[in-house]
Amino acid sequence: MKFFLKILKDFPAYLWSGWGAIASILLFIALWDVGNQVYGNLVLPSPLETFKTLYAMLHSQEVWEQIDITLYRASVGFGLSLLFGSILGLIAGFFATASMMSRPVVTILVGMPPIAWIVLAMIWFGMGDETVIFTVIVASFPIIFVGALQGTRTLDGDLKEMADSFHFPWHMKFMDVYFPHIFSYIFPAWVSGLGMAWKIVIMAELLATSDGMGAELAIARSQLDTPTALALVTIMIGSLMFIEYIILEPIKREVESWRS
Amino acid sequence: MSTQQEEEKLHATNHYLYYPDEEGIPPYLAYGFRPVFLLLAPYLILSMVLWGFVWSGTINIPFMDNVIVWHVYEMLFGILPAGVMAFLTTGLPELFPGMIPFVGKRLKYVMLLWIAGRISFWFIDITGVYIAAILNLAMLAWLIWFAKDVVLDKLQRHASIGYALVALFGIESWFFASMAGFASTDPMAILRVALGAIVILILLAMRRVNMEAVNELMEDKGIDDIYISRPPLTNLAIFSVALFTVVEFFYPDNSALGWIGIATGAAVLAITSDYNLKDKFILNQPYVIYLYLIYIMMALGYALMGWDILLGEPYDINSFRHFITAGGLGLAYLMVMVTIGWIHTGRHLTSNIYTHLMVFFIVLATFMRGLIPFFEEYSMQLYFWSAIVWTLPFVLFIKVFYRFLLEPRADGIKG
Repeated sequence: MKFFLKILKDFPAYLWSGWGAIASILLFIALWDVGNQVYGNLVLPSPLETFKTLYAMLHSQEVWEQIDITLYRASVGFGLSLLFGSILGLIAGFFATASMMSRPVVTILVGMPPIAWIVLAMIWFGMGDETVIFTVIVASFPIIFVGALQGTRTLDGDLKEMADSFHFPWHMKFMDVYFPHIFSYIFPAWVSGLGMAWKIVIMAELLATSDGMGAELAIARSQLDTPTALALVTIMIGSLMFIEYIILEPIKREVESWRS
Repeated sequence: MSTQQEEEKLHATNHYLYYPDEEGIPPYLAYGFRPVFLLLAPYLILSMVLWGFVWSGTINIPFMDNVIVWHVYEMLFGILPAGVMAFLTTGLPELFPGMIPFVGKRLKYVMLLWIAGRISFWFIDITGVYIAAILNLAMLAWLIWFAKDVVLDKLQRHASIGYALVALFGIESWFFASMAGFASTDPMAILRVALGAIVILILLAMRRVNMEAVNELMEDKGIDDIYISRPPLTNLAIFSVALFTVVEFFYPDNSALGWIGIATGAAVLAITSDYNLKDKFILNQPYVIYLYLIYIMMALGYALMGWDILLGEPYDINSFRHFITAGGLGLAYLMVMVTIGWIHTGRHLTSNIYTHLMVFFIVLATFMRGLIPFFEEYSMQLYFWSAIVWTLPFVLFIKVFYRFLLEPRADGIKG
């Protein structure tokens, strides 16, 4: 509870410190505008036109339905990765043999390009939700798994011994010794896993489904509708930035503050 | 001597190591800022009233048939040397403790040069552009000469201020060259470049003023924390302002300039995040609010100008520019006058109903002038009354600070 109050207390100052970031994004948009003036509307629509398209899109029921579909797929895929990646990673971290065995497998999973997974998934599951969700899991599971594994592997043996010799009750041992350490590893892994999930879901949809934002992007491409394509990209980036910088980053700062 | 007195004395003598041994220096020439403020406050009031008469046609000064250009010139380059002079003659001995304060007769002569510059300006139709150019450029050149140690300093700690002044000298020369027919650049475009350079100079100076004033304030009030104005944030703002200025000079109607304007607003606002200290909350301290408002005004100006360019209605842009000039610059000059007026006359940095009102009137006048595009039907009244309201802070300044400026320091130290 104290933890969340601290986050809430620091939140306005944190939010206000974002002006510098906003300035650099706006300067980037200015560069985009120059690109539009050099290459023309078809290749790169102007930022203003894109934002107007975006504004119109956000007022249409249909677009929100597509966003819902994508959101559903991404969250199911990411949720499953989060659950199994964390649990399995933690368990694997506690056993030296298990972590030794799991390493090469994870390398295979990470090393295989997601696009190859999509092809396999399309053969196995056909064109639909399952293919997309499967691809998301395959892409973000290893990241979370490795993070959790590292968290338990790197636990300080001396601290563990100290906690044992003072006969800490198990909940204290967990909350004050293990949890802060493991969480500081696993939480950043969740954040990168989420970023990966959000990118992969769009790619999988673009190739394997007829609905969702990825599919919308495919339609925009086939119709050479660059403003819509860019507006969709803006939604994707905007939502990812919102989740990462407004929701997760303040928590991450608080979680990692003990390290400094 | 009580310990408290001793402490105060130590703090004040920190401001310089040696004081010149010239005989019989009157109080009003005992330190660089004193004659500047004594003259600047009435001059700002007088010139605003004169502009009021010029605009309404009551008095007829043709200003070489280019009244608006000369109005902008005077508000930028006429007042700038006074503000810079107060800042440098007071600040440099503090930043470079070996330096001897600039006082007495020599100070009087430099002030006379500034006054001559103002007279040559108001009588430009009689005395001509060359005399105005020579007198005004000489004043700025003297300031650069005075600040040469800053540029030549091996550590280059404050050199950027010197470079900004050199750049401004170049821009002012360019302006006079254009007015005298030696350069074909539109004088208004040169003045817009000048505004960019002045904003950069103020951002550089503000970083130092902020560190000094805010930390002194916290020490005074027993707030145990430290305020650090981080260079990267100021540099981002300076980069954005410079980019906006350059792009506006070459492509005044380009839509990319609109985005750069909004970006500049955000970058200037970003500097204020330094006021969120690690442990203590200082946004309720009056002087923090005053200084904060300088950034808010400038940020509003750039953002509104950018927005205006994006919408493609370039007419309003000069009204919005007043957020930077009347608001940002006006408040920056006022804050220099007020903080130096307290601290360097041997007093504590004090806020009272007068300082609140001074800041309030500047902000009010800025909104009245800057938002004219939204209230077109009242534009005549707003032009007039915003000018009047803008002079009120300087009337109050005369009321509160004149006696401090005309008397020796309250703590008995020279200066």
